[in-house]
Amino acid sequence: MQGNSSRRGSVAGLPAGSGSALPALLLVGLFFIVPVVALLLRSVTDPEPGLQNYAALFGSGTYVRVFLNTFLVASVVTAVTILVAFPVAWMLAIMPPALGSIVFGIIILSMWTNLLTRTYAWMVLLQRTGVINRALMGLGIIHEPLPLINNLAGVTIGMVYIMLPFMILPLVGTLRAIDPMTLRAAALCGASPFAAFRRILLPLSLPGVAAGGLMVFVMSLGYFVTPALLGGTSNMMLAEMIAQTVQSLLNWGLGSAAAFVLLVVTMALYAIQLRLVGARRTGGGI
Amino acid sequence: MKLILTGLLAGLLAATAAKADEMAFTSWGGTTQEAQTKSWAAPFEASSGIKVLQDGPTDYGKLKAMVDAGNVTWDVVDVEMDFAIKAAKDGLLEPIDYAVVPKADLDPRFSNEHAVGSFYYSFVLAWNKGAVPGEPTGWADMFDTKKFPGKRTFYKWSAPGVIEIALLADGVPADKLYPLDLDRAFKKLDTIKSDIVWWSGGAESQQLIASGEAAFGQLWNGRVFALQQDGTDVGVAWNQNLTAADVLVVPKGAKNKGSAMKFLAAATSPTGQAKFAEASGYAPISTKAKAEMPADAVKALPDAHVEGQINLDMNYWAEHRDEIATRWYAWQTN
Repeated sequence: MQGNSSRRGSVAGLPAGSGSALPALLLVGLFFIVPVVALLLRSVTDPEPGLQNYAALFGSGTYVRVFLNTFLVASVVTAVTILVAFPVAWMLAIMPPALGSIVFGIIILSMWTNLLTRTYAWMVLLQRTGVINRALMGLGIIHEPLPLINNLAGVTIGMVYIMLPFMILPLVGTLRAIDPMTLRAAALCGASPFAAFRRILLPLSLPGVAAGGLMVFVMSLGYFVTPALLGGTSNMMLAEMIAQTVQSLLNWGLGSAAAFVLLVVTMALYAIQLRLVGARRTGGGI
Repeated sequence: MKLILTGLLAGLLAATAAKADEMAFTSWGGTTQEAQTKSWAAPFEASSGIKVLQDGPTDYGKLKAMVDAGNVTWDVVDVEMDFAIKAAKDGLLEPIDYAVVPKADLDPRFSNEHAVGSFYYSFVLAWNKGAVPGEPTGWADMFDTKKFPGKRTFYKWSAPGVIEIALLADGVPADKLYPLDLDRAFKKLDTIKSDIVWWSGGAESQQLIASGEAAFGQLWNGRVFALQQDGTDVGVAWNQNLTAADVLVVPKGAKNKGSAMKFLAAATSPTGQAKFAEASGYAPISTKAKAEMPADAVKALPDAHVEGQINLDMNYWAEHRDEIATRWYAWQTN
């Protein structure tokens, strides 16, 4: 493994081509690492040095509840996104390329529309007097409007819709790499379609599921607009709480502490996933 | 080469000199800031030659960050009064120069050492006439889900208003509201918690009522005024209307303090206040403004409903802001 590639053109043990990564590293260092360190410092110095912000954070039932709720919402959104995205990704993987690129285009297109616009559109659809409830009541299917907004259902619907492309894209890559002959072989050996899915397709697609799932989960953790507009106060997520703490209450120390804890937990989850699935396979899906 | 450099330098100097005749005004955007631009900034630019740059929306975190960093790019900011009192205490604001801003005609309820009134408004009970049977007459009706079924909408954030509404509905007399009995207020709010839809901005409150998504709610009177102007069938109860105010402040270290004070003088003048009140439906903080307004515009103001009017205690809120907010979010997220 340590053969030609590392010897050729490497400087001080760095792989070839490291130099061209410098601008990106600089960017990340300046605009990510530095602010994160500043955040950490603020959380232990504002308004005075010490751990009082962290004590306040974990001592407050509100923050703990909002933390738990944030992880609950992110988990539900990730699970539903995987379920919805899998069939689409599979369809894309086995479609003729010409047709596939059209469907692909439609999926990507949704990402080009403003997030706020899309979320407001969901409000119009989901509210009690909205299109969905009116149609269902008009058809006599329901007599009372369904509570589709200002609760977990609303947040889940709105966020799954936004997260779908981030799940579909890595999944298609993984599924395309699977040799269709393996499924045919399974069928020839007498496996039912479900058995073939469960024992062949699903295990082989796991790296893609894991990569997409992690991306969706992490993005969901920090989401602001959609939960704020489609959720109720009992589903308040951390980003909204932090914004309120910083902007309105001007308690920057507490806000920084909350943001830092979220960051640490997210990174820990990422590390655990790397352990379970392996960095190579996780990355390999994309 | 030298010539070019000198030319450039001269140009730069001219540019900075031109900048001295500029100032930045920050408010909440939407119809309110439009009315402020039209009623205050435009005439002020014409008379003083000082250009007023519009920015927004107001963001308390940003204001504090600017002052802390010593790089203040806002010269006049429209803020809520309870915030202004707290911000002054935290050293974030310049004192108002009352040698430049005439004080005689200002409503003393809404001006102090570090802030001068912008406008005042009332929280009123508004309802969608198609969605509510009969006529609600006071805050107690918003807690009577039998007589008035349907969703009700309240302001989402911890701010003067909802706590007082709950206490009034529970029978606390207006003159006994403060100090606020938070336990009692939250207990009362618990009785309708599942029927509440929260609004977090003015446009959202209008949308909720106009669509009937919420049958009725606690709205800013200017927003109800705008709905009625648009021909929406909305009822309004002025009984127990709750006044609060926005004030204009100058952040500590503002670069164009001199221009800012002159702007404040124009904005709080009877004419500036009259024009803004007519455009927005919010009440003037200059006692002489109403004389300059058409009679029917005066009728739409909270001023026309002083009977049963209750002043929210901004000093009490400034003092207990954090404590109430902690309780508020704990209750809300539970």
